[in-house]
Amino acid sequence: MRRILFVVTAVVIILLLLLFFAARRRSVPETGKALSATEALGGTPAQGFARAAAPRRFIFPEDHGPHQGFRNEWWYFTGNLESSQGRRFGYQLTFFRVALTPEPVPRISDWGTNEVFMAHFAVTDVEGKQFHFSERFSRAALGLAGAGGRPLTVRLEDWTALESSAQPWSVKLSAADADMAIELDLTSLKREILNGASGLSSKSGTPGNASYYYSISRMATSGTIRSGSESFKVTGLSWLDREWSTSALEPDQVGWDWFALQLDDGRDIMFYQLRRRDGSSDPFSSGTLVSADGTGTHLRRDEVQLEATRWWTSPKTGVKYPSLWRMRIPSQRVDIEISPRLAGQEFVGDFRYWEGAVVLQGAGGSAGGSGYLEMTGY
Amino acid sequence: MILWRVGFRNVLRHPWLTVLAVVGVALGVAVVSAVDIANQAAQRSFQIAAQSVAGKATHQVVGGPAGIPEQLYHTIRVTKRFRDCAPVVTGPLQLTIKAGTTFQLIGVDPFAEPPIRAFSSQFSDSKVIAELVAKPDTALMLRQTARELGLKRGGTFPVEVAGVRRELVLAGIIEPPDEISRLGLASVLVTDISTAQELLVQTGRLSRIDLIIPEGAAGMKLLEEIEAVLPAEASIIPAGARAGALDRMTRAFRLNLTALSLLALVVGMFLIYNTMTFSVVRRRRLIGMLRALGVSRREIFLMILGEALLIGLAGTVIGLVCGNLLGIELTRLVTRTINDLYFAVELHRMPLLPATLLKGGLLGVVATLAAACPAALEATGAPPRAVLSRSLIEARHRKGVRLAALCGFLVMIVGAALLLFEQGGIVGGFAGLFAIILGYTLLIPGAVVLSAGALRPAMAALFGVIGKMAARGVVVSLSRTGVATAALVVAVAAGIGVGIMVGSFRLTVQSWLGSWLQADVYVRSADNGGGRYRPPLDPALVARLSRLPGVESYSLSRRASIEGASGSTEIFSIEVPKFAFLDYPFKEGSPRTAWESFSQGDSVLISEPYSYRNKLGTGDQVTLRTDRGVRTFPVSGVFYDYGSDAGIIMMSRVAYLRNFNDQSIDGISLYARQGVTPAQLAGEVRSRGGESSIAVISNSELRRATVEVFDRTFAITGVLRILTLGVAFVGILSALMAMQVERARELAVLRAVGLTPRQVWGVICGETALIGLIAGLLSLPLGIIEALILVYVVNLRSFGWTMQLFLDPAYGVQAVVLSLAAAILAGIYPSIMIARTSPALALKEEE
Repeated sequence: MRRILFVVTAVVIILLLLLFFAARRRSVPETGKALSATEALGGTPAQGFARAAAPRRFIFPEDHGPHQGFRNEWWYFTGNLESSQGRRFGYQLTFFRVALTPEPVPRISDWGTNEVFMAHFAVTDVEGKQFHFSERFSRAALGLAGAGGRPLTVRLEDWTALESSAQPWSVKLSAADADMAIELDLTSLKREILNGASGLSSKSGTPGNASYYYSISRMATSGTIRSGSESFKVTGLSWLDREWSTSALEPDQVGWDWFALQLDDGRDIMFYQLRRRDGSSDPFSSGTLVSADGTGTHLRRDEVQLEATRWWTSPKTGVKYPSLWRMRIPSQRVDIEISPRLAGQEFVGDFRYWEGAVVLQGAGGSAGGSGYLEMTGY
Repeated sequence: MILWRVGFRNVLRHPWLTVLAVVGVALGVAVVSAVDIANQAAQRSFQIAAQSVAGKATHQVVGGPAGIPEQLYHTIRVTKRFRDCAPVVTGPLQLTIKAGTTFQLIGVDPFAEPPIRAFSSQFSDSKVIAELVAKPDTALMLRQTARELGLKRGGTFPVEVAGVRRELVLAGIIEPPDEISRLGLASVLVTDISTAQELLVQTGRLSRIDLIIPEGAAGMKLLEEIEAVLPAEASIIPAGARAGALDRMTRAFRLNLTALSLLALVVGMFLIYNTMTFSVVRRRRLIGMLRALGVSRREIFLMILGEALLIGLAGTVIGLVCGNLLGIELTRLVTRTINDLYFAVELHRMPLLPATLLKGGLLGVVATLAAACPAALEATGAPPRAVLSRSLIEARHRKGVRLAALCGFLVMIVGAALLLFEQGGIVGGFAGLFAIILGYTLLIPGAVVLSAGALRPAMAALFGVIGKMAARGVVVSLSRTGVATAALVVAVAAGIGVGIMVGSFRLTVQSWLGSWLQADVYVRSADNGGGRYRPPLDPALVARLSRLPGVESYSLSRRASIEGASGSTEIFSIEVPKFAFLDYPFKEGSPRTAWESFSQGDSVLISEPYSYRNKLGTGDQVTLRTDRGVRTFPVSGVFYDYGSDAGIIMMSRVAYLRNFNDQSIDGISLYARQGVTPAQLAGEVRSRGGESSIAVISNSELRRATVEVFDRTFAITGVLRILTLGVAFVGILSALMAMQVERARELAVLRAVGLTPRQVWGVICGETALIGLIAGLLSLPLGIIEALILVYVVNLRSFGWTMQLFLDPAYGVQAVVLSLAAAILAGIYPSIMIARTSPALALKEEE
C-alpha cells in the first residue's frame, strides 16, 4: 500500500521534473562576446588599403581635405582658451574618418557608403571643475557626415569644421551638445609643419606601419564656449593635428602619450611616446620642435627625456594615469613640468583615454606655457 | 490513514473506471493547456517580435503606403538636433531555400542604432560591420537560424523579395542581447539600411523612424517640435501601437479558441462529477457503516476529496504532458490561421511557461475537486442510517428534478439576457452561451424522465418486457443516468453547434465569393510574403495585359495599409467597370446609387466588419490620414466582406491616386471578351507575362483557393470540436459502464430469477442505448441554440460578420449516431462481466 503510494508520488514528481526541464532546455543563451558597432570599427582589415610607405609631396590647402584609399584619417583640434575675466577652458574637437573598404562600391541607395565618421568633443571648464565630453558616429551618407577638400568642410551632423579663409588658412569650428558648445574661429599663426621624415611618421619597424602627419601648431582662436548653461567669450591658442594612415599599433605597443605644447617663448613641441607592454618607451617615439618663426626640427626619442612622476586614479574607471610629467630636451634647453589643468579629463566613450588641457611650468630658465596631452592604453 | 487506504483501494478496485476518469480529466486539461500554449505563443510572438524590433523606441514616425521620405530623417536628426532616433526600412522577404518561410527584412543604420536596439549595434567582429555596411546584398541572421538553414558565414542563400529572386551573402550573425530578443529575431534578417532600400525597391524612402521620447512635459514639447517638421504624409504614433494592434486584431480569434477549450473542460468536469458520484453512491453502505462506527463527516468528506485529488492529479499531469505535445500542433494551426487571416508572422514555440503549467494544473485539480464536492457532500450530508438506504437517494433525486428544471429555466433566462446585452462584447456572448448550456443541463434530468416515459411504450412494443425494464431502469437510477446524459448532451451539442456555425459560414463565404469574384482571370505578384499585402506589379506588364486581345474590360487594384495611432487601416483601391460594381454584395446602400460618387472618388465604401467595429454606416464619414493630410470621406455603402475581420475601406483608384503618393498596382482582374474562355485568356496572360514572377489565377481556382484558406482557418475549430466529442465519448462510456457495474447485484438477481445472459445483455444495452438516444435527441435543440448564439452573437461581436444560418441535417444524424455508439459500447463490458460471473457469486458480492 505505502509502496504503491510512493511509486505514484515518484512518477508524478518525475513527470513534473521532466516538464520543467523540457521548459528549461530551450532557454540556453547564445554565447560569444559582442562588439559595439564602433568598437568593431577599430579592426577593419588593412588589406587593400593604401599605405604610408614613402615620403610624399604635401600640397596645401589641398592636403587639408580627405585622402581616400587610406583606412583612417583625422582632423584633431585642441586648444587652451581664456575668458576676459581670466576663466580658463580647454576644448577638443576631433573628426575621424574610417573607411570600411578601400574603394567605395556604387550603390543605388543614397545610404550606401564605405565610410564612417566618428567625432569626439570635449570641453574642460577649469575653474568650474567640469569636464564635458561626447562622442558621435555616423555613416558618411545622406549629408549626415562627410569631408570635402577645397574649401575644407568636415561634418558629423551639426558638428562642423569649415574653412573660412585660405590666406592665412582659417577654420570655423562649431559643435554643441546638451551641456557644452563651441563656436570658434581659428586662424593659422604658423604654417603647416611636417612631422617625422618630411611628413612620413613611422610607428614601428614594419614597412607601411606609418602615417602621413602634419600639424599647425599655433592657431589664434576666438569665439564663444559654453560649459553647462553658461556661455563665455574666449580667446586663446589652438593646435591642429592631421594624420592619415592604414597603420595600427604593433602587438608589443600598448598605447601612447602625445604632447602638443605651446611655450610662452613662441616655440611649440609635438612629441609622442609609444609605450611598450613592459612600460618602456618604443624607439619609434619621436617629435617635432617648431621654432617661433615656424621652422620645424625633428626630435628623436633619445633627445627627449620624459618621466611620469605622479599618478592619478580615475574615480570613474579606476584606471591609473600619470598626472605629472617632466620633459627635458637638453639640446633645445627645454625643461618643463607638465600637469593637467584638471585631473579628471578622462574621455570614457567607446574608446577610453585621457585627453586634456595641461599647464607647463618651466624650470631653470625654460619657458612655461600650455598645451594638450593625450594618454591612451592605460 | 486507514480511511485513505479505503479511498485508495476503491480507486484501484475498479481500474477501468478510474482509468476513464483519469483520461477524462487528462483530455480536458490537455485541450485547455494546448489552446493556452498556442494562444500564448501567438501573443508572445507579437509582443516579442514587436519589442525586439522596436527596441527602446517609444514612438515611431510612419507614413502612407510608400513610407516616408528619407530626408525627413536628416531633418529630425541634424536640423532639429534630435539624436535619439534611428531610421528603419523593413518588409517581408521569402527564403527560397526553405520553401514558404517568410522572414522580416529589417534594414537599419548600425551607427544610429545603439540608443534604440542592441542586436543591430552589436557585432561579433569588425569584419561583419564592414561587409554589412559597405557591401551590397549582405545580411545577418541568428546563429541558430543559419544552422537550421545549413548556412555558413560568407555563404550565399537565395531569397525572393518584392517579387524578385536575389542572392544574399550571410555577412555574420546577429548577437541578441538576451533570450527574449533571440526568440523575437528567429525569423528576422538584418541588413544595412542601404541594402534594405535596394532589396525592397524603396530607394529614397524609409518605412519609419524610431524615436525615444522622454516622458513628461519635455517629451510632449519634443513631440510637438518634431510634428511641426513632418510632411502631411507622415505622423507620429506610439511604438506600442503596432504590437497592441496585432494583439487586438487576433484577440477575438484567440478568445474563441479559449472558450472552445473551456467547453472541453466543462465536459470533463461532468465526467469527474459522474465518476465521483458513482463511487459515493456505490459505497453508501460502507460510508454508512463508517459513519456508524464513529468516523466524522469531515473525515469522510476529506476521504472522498482525497480520492478525487488522486484522480485529478494523475489526470492533470498526464493532461499537461499531452497538452504540451498537442500545443505544438495547435500552434502550427494557429500560425496558419493568423497568416491566412491577419498578417505574416512566424509563431515560435514558446518554452513552456510556468503560468501555463500552473493554470492547466490548477484548472485540472480545482475542477476535479469542484466536481467531486457534490458527491462528497451527499455522502456526508445525510445521517448514517439514511446513507445506507439507496432508494432514499433516488427518491430525493427525483424530487429534485422539478427544482432543477426551475433553476435551469432561470439560468437560461439570465443567459439569454446576457446575450441580448449588446455591450457585453465577446466575453458577454460566451458567458451567455455557457449560462444557456448550464441551464439546459439542469433541465435534462426532467427531460430524461419524460422521454423515458414517452419511449416506454415503444420499447415495450419493440423488445417486450426487457425493453420495458430498460426504460424504467433509466428513470429509477436517475441520480446517475441524469448526469451521464447531461454530459453527453453538452458535448454532442457543442459538436453540433460548432459544426453548424462553420458550415453556415462556409456556405456564406461561398455565395459571397460568387458575387464578389466576377472577373475571369486574376493576375498578381507571386510573392505572398507580406500576407494580405503584395508587392506591386510591373507597370509595363499591367499596360500590356490590359491591352490583350481577349480582354473585354479589366479592374486594377491596390491594397495598402495606413498606420495610425490605433493600429493600421486597410485600404483597398480599385478601378472597376460599372457592370462588375453593380453586382457587388451590399449590406447597406445600393451599388446603383453609390456608383457615381464612388467612381468619381467622392465617396468610399466600408466593409461590414469595419462598419460594425467603428459604428459607421451609409451617410457617415470616415477619417483617414492620407499623404495630403487628414481627410474625411463620406460613406456611400457597406459591403459584405469576409476577407478581413478588421474591416477594410474600399475607394476608387481615382480617390486613391488623389490622396496617396502611390501609383502602383498589385492586382489586375481581366474580364474575357465574348467567345474567349477563361482558360484561353489565362494562357494569353501567361505567354505575355514576361520575366515578372506573377501568379495567374482563374476565377474558379481563386474561389477554390479562397475556400481552401477558409477550411484551413477553421481546421483548428474542427480539431477542438473532435477533442470535445472525444471527451464526451469517454464520459458517456465511463458513466454508463459505472452504472452497470454497480448494478451487478441487481442484475444477478435478474439472472437468478431466470433471465438468460442474452436477456440481461438486452436490459443493459437497452438501457444505455436509450440514454444514448435520449441524449442524442436532447442535444439537437441545444446544438441549434449554440449555433444560433455562435452565428448571431459571438461571431458578430468577434469579427463583425453576419452569415446565413444553414442547418445541415448531417450534424444531427452525426450527433445521434455518436451518442448511440458510445452508449452501446458502454453496455458491452458490463454485459460480458455479468454473463461470465455465476449469479450466486455476484449475489454474494458485498456492497
